[in-house]
Amino acid sequence: MITVNQLTKRYGQHAAVDAVTFDAKPGRVTGFLGPNGAGKSTCMRMMCGLTPPTSGTATILGRSYADLPNPGRHVGVLLDAQAQHAGRTGREILTLGALTLGLPRTRVDELLEVVGLTQVEAKRRLRDYSLGMRQRLGIAHALLGDPQVLVLDEPANGLDPAGIRWMRSLLRGFADQGGTVLLSSHLLHEIQVIADDLVVIGRGRIVAEGAKDDLLAAAGTTVRSTDNARLAKALQDNGIDVTQGFGSLSVQVTPERVGRIALEHQIVLTELGSTSSTGLEEMFLQLTAADAREGAAA
Amino acid sequence: MSTIASAATPHAGTRLPSRLAEAATTPIPFLRLLKVELRKLVDTRAGRWLLITIGALTLVVIGILLFTGKPNEGKGFGDFIAGTVGPQAVLLPILGILTVTSEWSQRTGLVTFTLEPRRLRVGLAKFLAALLVGFAAIIVGVAFAAVGTGLGALVRGSNPSWALSAGAFFGMFLAQAVGIAMGVGFGMLLRNTPGAIVAYFFLPTLWSIVSSISFMKTAGEWLDTNKTLAPVFDGSMSGEQWAHFLVSTLVWAVLPLAVGMWRMTRAEVKSA
Repeated sequence: MITVNQLTKRYGQHAAVDAVTFDAKPGRVTGFLGPNGAGKSTCMRMMCGLTPPTSGTATILGRSYADLPNPGRHVGVLLDAQAQHAGRTGREILTLGALTLGLPRTRVDELLEVVGLTQVEAKRRLRDYSLGMRQRLGIAHALLGDPQVLVLDEPANGLDPAGIRWMRSLLRGFADQGGTVLLSSHLLHEIQVIADDLVVIGRGRIVAEGAKDDLLAAAGTTVRSTDNARLAKALQDNGIDVTQGFGSLSVQVTPERVGRIALEHQIVLTELGSTSSTGLEEMFLQLTAADAREGAAA
Repeated sequence: MSTIASAATPHAGTRLPSRLAEAATTPIPFLRLLKVELRKLVDTRAGRWLLITIGALTLVVIGILLFTGKPNEGKGFGDFIAGTVGPQAVLLPILGILTVTSEWSQRTGLVTFTLEPRRLRVGLAKFLAALLVGFAAIIVGVAFAAVGTGLGALVRGSNPSWALSAGAFFGMFLAQAVGIAMGVGFGMLLRNTPGAIVAYFFLPTLWSIVSSISFMKTAGEWLDTNKTLAPVFDGSMSGEQWAHFLVSTLVWAVLPLAVGMWRMTRAEVKSA
């Protein structure tokens, strides 16, 4: 359980994180979504006691991070897979972690296996690791202490498709055991597949928050038919606002409602569904358009 | 069937780490932090090569003392020990600097301070680790000096004096400890390897230059560590020299350490 309350970080006049409030609940994967520079990393550093907040609080398992005894046994943190000594071997990095946490050396071998790093790879120095291997090592490091909470900043970065799939099922399994997962990403599709809850942040502020399904339902329905003009009129006659797309119509009602109206008017539908497949991306761009650097272009 | 099963449990086949027996409620003991910091001093090539260099330079100095000069001049145990002090006085503080600054230059601080958020304890563990390694280096230097003295008698036919004053012996540890403390302190203040090394060598030496100006002479006597530490190494301290030593230690070691530790506990630890 992570509870963030009115968390704020100012650098001079600039508010990098502005009164951010949300919960990440046990048994669920919470996706922390936002464009570059939106304040995701600053927020996560404040949760882990690395950056002192200007105001507000963040607690993990009911305590502020600094008050957790041996925090690595409660919270697994991966903020930057590149932030390790380039001259240390993967095994040595995990060994230092295990020593600090007071865990047996066998735990290092176990975690290497869990993340799929071979003994040979573990003997190589970090500077010879690909980004994907560094992420796997970082996830192994985060899992060392058998934590109940995971805080991961862009963990899918640099992973190949198979790696992303592996991580997705690993995090799902972790949450199904009752663990809390907070992971940030700008990879929208990745978050869409894995997250149960979403926190969307733009320019330091939360722009949307809630269960993924609820947020996506708000994204509406997309429909295509053999006669879009007649369908649009039928929908409008039922008091539904219709937005014209490229050969499609978008409405803010359920697919079922659209289907029934089409059936009534005997219009053949060629496509009908919630906007969810592209919905998150649309929503994300919409919600953060005013905040993103590309705001003017979008 | 199997596709349905895997769809129902998407993580089937992905292994999770085994659960650990007890949830940890005890803080990390200081000794464990110390052990980890000691290990971090030697588990990289940079750290190992620094230690190897200290050892190698000590051997070179002993070789030079052994094979130059007249057989019975400067071949005593105390002379050899005095020879080993030089390279160590230069390099041990760098060890102290690196133990701190590498957390920032290599960005490992992100992990270190996440595992132990009470950063003061990490800072103390680093200081103590650098001191312990430094003392080990001194003891190895003394052993080398003993071998050098023995070889002098064998090879050069010297008739060495094995006398060593307790003052000089303990003074050596004390003076090197001050150097290491300065290194750690400067490292914590500046959190940048080249900056800390330059500052460490330049600032106290600045007083040598400043004090050559007549009216600044007194300031040099009190603040130039090159001058105030010399009698500590010799083990011949007068009351006034103790005062000079204590003041310069306060200014160049205790103060940077205290302010550095304070800054380190407050600094933002970032990855970039």
